Amino acid sequence: MNAFAITGEILVLIGTFFYMLSALGLIRMPDVYNRMQTSTKSATLGSLGVMIGVGIWALGTDFGSVAWFTKTLVIAIFLLLTNPISAHALIRAAYRNGIPLWEGSVVDRYREHMEAKKEEGDEE
Amino acid sequence: MMKRLLAIGLILVIGYWLANGLAGVPFGEDRMLVGQYYLDNVKQQTGAINAVTAVVVNYRGFDTLGEVTVLFIASTGVGALLWRRKKERTAEVEGSVVLTTGTKLLVPFVILFGSYIFIHGHLTPGGGFPGGATIATAFLLLYMAFTAYEIPHKGFEKTEGVAGMSYVLVGLIGLAIGGYFLFDWIWQTWKIGTVGELLSGGFIPVIYMLIGIKVGTELSGIIDNMIKEGVSE
Repeated sequence: MNAFAITGEILVLIGTFFYMLSALGLIRMPDVYNRMQTSTKSATLGSLGVMIGVGIWALGTDFGSVAWFTKTLVIAIFLLLTNPISAHALIRAAYRNGIPLWEGSVVDRYREHMEAKKEEGDEE
Repeated sequence: MMKRLLAIGLILVIGYWLANGLAGVPFGEDRMLVGQYYLDNVKQQTGAINAVTAVVVNYRGFDTLGEVTVLFIASTGVGALLWRRKKERTAEVEGSVVLTTGTKLLVPFVILFGSYIFIHGHLTPGGGFPGGATIATAFLLLYMAFTAYEIPHKGFEKTEGVAGMSYVLVGLIGLAIGGYFLFDWIWQTWKIGTVGELLSGGFIPVIYMLIGIKVGTELSGIIDNMIKEGVSE
């Protein structure tokens, strides 16, 4: 048991906690957009915690090596870059397919923007 | 309703029958007959660490050649079924700026990773088929993000054919040197490299590079065929 192993274990714990929050958000939230908001953010953070944690944990064990940390770092960076893009594409596709906002939402600037653009297009 | 109940009943009977058959197989026991031979001899006979790719390419190379042929026929079949004189992309909405920029940044890395998978087939899990599929994913990304993207057809289809022919050619060289088709002439006659390093594994990396290129171009071609629609002139 050394500092690396303890840090890694704590990071993995934090990561799994955020995974749980992300799953909870999927059940708790009222509409697609809120669900995506809660689940993608916390799942990304949770994955980062778990992966970096595993890498650091492996540094502290006798069978682990730096190769583990390098690999987890690469995977973590890849996930950090791709997860927001996929969430963005999903939400945009959902909105463009006419999935309504939650009835409690008050402002929808994107719709106003699109309608304004449409009118401009008609005038031309 | 009646139909559904009958189907569920039939599936339950088949499932029970299969489970009964499997109940006779003991788990967690050493039941290897040929497998033990592979595990004992794979390093000095093929020079590969990854026993699966050694079996797939070396001991049972005919199966892999058959699989490559199946993929080729699938690609040709899709091309023949969807053949039209003039085909164009009919997508209307360009991906958002985030998506296009992200794709532009990611595609080289995806292709790099796919190449990594098939070059290291004899050392790490993977091989030509997963590597090729990863490369095809990069082209799928390009197709999804851009409305006007098209793979360079002439180069792609020729590369595919050349890669497939080179696989057979490597096998034929083995036939000339060792006396049977797909004889591992690089490892068996020259013993290049030490086991466990990149430069080892006989002709496994060579063949997997060819298969990776072939599968990558082939699946991209299938995507290209399926994503386009015919245009009336």
